[in-house]
Amino acid sequence: MLKRTQQTFGSLAFPLLATILGLIVSSLFVLTARADPLTAYQHLFCEGFGSSGCQTFGNLLLIDVPQAGGGTQTVFAPFYGEKGHKLALVLERATILILTALSATVAFKAGMFSIGMDGQLVLGAMAAAFLGYAIPDQIYALGKIDPKAIPPAIETVMHIVVPLLCIAGAMAAGAFWSWIAGFLKVRLNVNELICTIILNTIAVQIAGYLINFPLRSDVNNLARTRRIEDTAWLVPFNRGIFQNVEWFTGARLGIGILIALIAALALWFFLYRTTAGYEQRMARGSRLFARFGGIPGGRAVLRAMLISGALSGLAGAIQILGVERRFVDGFAAGGLGFDGVLVAILAKESIPGLLLVACFYAGLQQGSLNLQFANLPRQLGGIIIAFIILFSSMETFFRAQFGKVWSRLRPPRRPPAAPLSENRTPAL
Amino acid sequence: MPHAVELQHIRKFFPSTGVLASDDVSLSIEPGEVHALVGENGAGKTTLMNILYGLLAPDTGQILIHGQAAHITHPNDAIRLGIGMVHQHFKLVPSFSIAQNIMLGIEPNRAGFVNGRTEAEAVRKLAAGFGLPVDPHARTGSVSVGMQQRVEILKALQRDARILILDEPTAVLTPQEVRELYTVVRNLAAAGRAVVLITHKLIEVKDVADRVSVMRRGRMIGTHPVAEVSIRAMANMMVGREVLLQVAKGEAAPGEVVLRAENLLVAGAGGVPAVFGVSFTVRAGEILGLAGVSGNGQTELVEALAGLRPVDAGTITLFGKDITASIVRDRREAGMAHIPEDRLVMGLNLQTTLDENVVATHYQKPPFSARGIFQFKPMRRLAQQIIDAFSIRAARVGEPIRMLSGGNLQKIVLGRELEGRPKFVIANQPTRGLDVGSIEFVHKTLIAQRDSGVAVLLVSVELEEIFALSDRIAVMFEGRIMGLLDARDATETEIGLLMAGSSLEREAV
Repeated sequence: MLKRTQQTFGSLAFPLLATILGLIVSSLFVLTARADPLTAYQHLFCEGFGSSGCQTFGNLLLIDVPQAGGGTQTVFAPFYGEKGHKLALVLERATILILTALSATVAFKAGMFSIGMDGQLVLGAMAAAFLGYAIPDQIYALGKIDPKAIPPAIETVMHIVVPLLCIAGAMAAGAFWSWIAGFLKVRLNVNELICTIILNTIAVQIAGYLINFPLRSDVNNLARTRRIEDTAWLVPFNRGIFQNVEWFTGARLGIGILIALIAALALWFFLYRTTAGYEQRMARGSRLFARFGGIPGGRAVLRAMLISGALSGLAGAIQILGVERRFVDGFAAGGLGFDGVLVAILAKESIPGLLLVACFYAGLQQGSLNLQFANLPRQLGGIIIAFIILFSSMETFFRAQFGKVWSRLRPPRRPPAAPLSENRTPAL
Repeated sequence: MPHAVELQHIRKFFPSTGVLASDDVSLSIEPGEVHALVGENGAGKTTLMNILYGLLAPDTGQILIHGQAAHITHPNDAIRLGIGMVHQHFKLVPSFSIAQNIMLGIEPNRAGFVNGRTEAEAVRKLAAGFGLPVDPHARTGSVSVGMQQRVEILKALQRDARILILDEPTAVLTPQEVRELYTVVRNLAAAGRAVVLITHKLIEVKDVADRVSVMRRGRMIGTHPVAEVSIRAMANMMVGREVLLQVAKGEAAPGEVVLRAENLLVAGAGGVPAVFGVSFTVRAGEILGLAGVSGNGQTELVEALAGLRPVDAGTITLFGKDITASIVRDRREAGMAHIPEDRLVMGLNLQTTLDENVVATHYQKPPFSARGIFQFKPMRRLAQQIIDAFSIRAARVGEPIRMLSGGNLQKIVLGRELEGRPKFVIANQPTRGLDVGSIEFVHKTLIAQRDSGVAVLLVSVELEEIFALSDRIAVMFEGRIMGLLDARDATETEIGLLMAGSSLEREAV
């Protein structure tokens, strides 16, 4: 048990060190922007993770709240939701990051370095945006219902069925796009990395065509689809069940985060508790080994790619159904899927790790957006994030350096035993 | 006269694995001697020599070359000091000519232009001087392995190596080539050079070395004149206990034909045929040994039998049932087990745990899987069973296997493959790279399998192993079976000739 705790501590200590190093090095850039690094970082973290009124690092934990009758009271900051909490915004961003990072992880764990999350997400989003109004339209037409006066019973059912159908469609679209890369890899040994890069471009172009021609809804400057029907909308918490909780104010955080967490749990179960997940992990460990043991590796790879695509499609669907409510031109070019790849790599393909990294990354992104309000260039945020990632990826190097120091400080153990056993003939 | 090499109190600790590979090791090598360095896998022989050659830096200790303290931080330093090393895996450019390889990096040139003729002439002179004839113009990739090794040796000599380190030099050679190498090594020593021979074949030590140093678990056990120690004594020093060099084996009682291969034609890498019309049978309760220098089609043949490589023509039948086109899983269902040549890549998945490795061949069946959900209890029970039955002391249920020694890893492979009572076992190089203690264990296990009525196909490049285990011996050369002999009256010379491609007058069995 102690060993377990040590391991957990060790795996957390390193990202922390990388973050601190990243901040120290980016201070140089902050200084060239004629700003005080400490102030800048406090601003970054407060805008990323703090409650309203957050000014210092300490305020991330404890904050003085003015009382109605004058004077102040110190409260635990993460629970202080006056005027909305930044953590709600972080979770809104993290939803997409978690799903795309899961998508990358499942592909990586099958030995497929697929970075097709972007294209799969775009097609998923497009499918959800289209189905979000097309399905209700069909239902109204078939049932001869007036959209302005839907019977309450039917409306309730539609609120459940329509989003589910949209999500299913989005997942199918993403899965199909990912399957192409998997199929080409398994049958023709086409490099999946190159293949998914190209498929991403194709998906973005397809989306660009659809949005500008067949699915364009109006003559707005920016091409966009029709807004999805209310029955397809995944109502954010601040408009629905938690509308009286101020913590959620301003964030379009909704049921999507729960779906993402359930997906994380389900994927973990699939990978570590089912024979199908075992097949896929073995296929990755060594393709020769899998073949040697009679494990159907190709099937495992295809299965992983389908799951990967479906998760990216799901991410796209949630972004449309819960956040944007329509597909706007430029969404496809946002590169939402690539951040997921990054998160998966930084988390070293660990599912619990990925949840933490996704939230941290989302917070940094969130914080850097508002840096300009502190008279700092907006690009500084990107520089800081890049340095933290750079140091995180240098883990092997740092461990080797620490290992050297460590071995000098600590007396060596005996080497592990060469076989000393009394070799007897096996009883099998 | 000063020692050619003196290593004093060398200590080397690998922090990443926590292994103390060299613990206060001292060793001196005289000019004009062949000094054998023996020890089990992981005893620290190669580490020690890599330190001498500048590939690794020692934590403490010092090195004296010809009596002078030397600071070797890079192989270039070692070469300058007259140390040459021939690695187990040759480091030659296959597309270069032999002369180009030997002169690589020290080409005689004029203003940067290399003169091919002077180069070839220099090599010819060098080769003649040492009695190691080579064709300077031959393409290195197309000459035999023995010749490539000779090129490596010449390469070291061209750089005027006074101290020559040979790492497992005989692993890839035919018996005849081994004899030639011995002569070369003796001549070099006679000329006053020091030769260090890293090996774990004790017969070799007896044949060629003057003194032998034994290492065990990072420590130097002792240095002795070879004439004063027996092979048995060396083996005991290496392992630290009594070992059986020759496993006791009773008469075989062959039963029905289990596996029949007929006129197999199998393509190797790049579609070039590697196995030409090979036919043989393996009976229940016998071990058929397949001898041959590595790279003569054995790998392709085994892969075809195991279902990893398509068969172009011919048939394979197991218990009379045609399995020529069956997938691996079906073959395994039918009772085939396979101990692969490369246990690190093919036999095991080192990135995962013991449990997940032992179920790799039957994970999809109950009790390990219930409706697609993995069952951990039966899996752990099986892992524990294998640990107990094969006394794999260092392994723990549920823990990674990455750190285990080669012998223990091979025991895991054996445990998994022999679990579930196979009827036909392919053992491809089952003791390659293992130490004496583990070899003894693997041999005992294979004989126990034979005695319980299993048909065993043993593929090995080690003649001792073939002779120790086989009931019948087939010899492969360039994709063909050159002869099939009864092990009771086959001689090493006969097998050696067949391995080199000559045919015998008599055809037994």
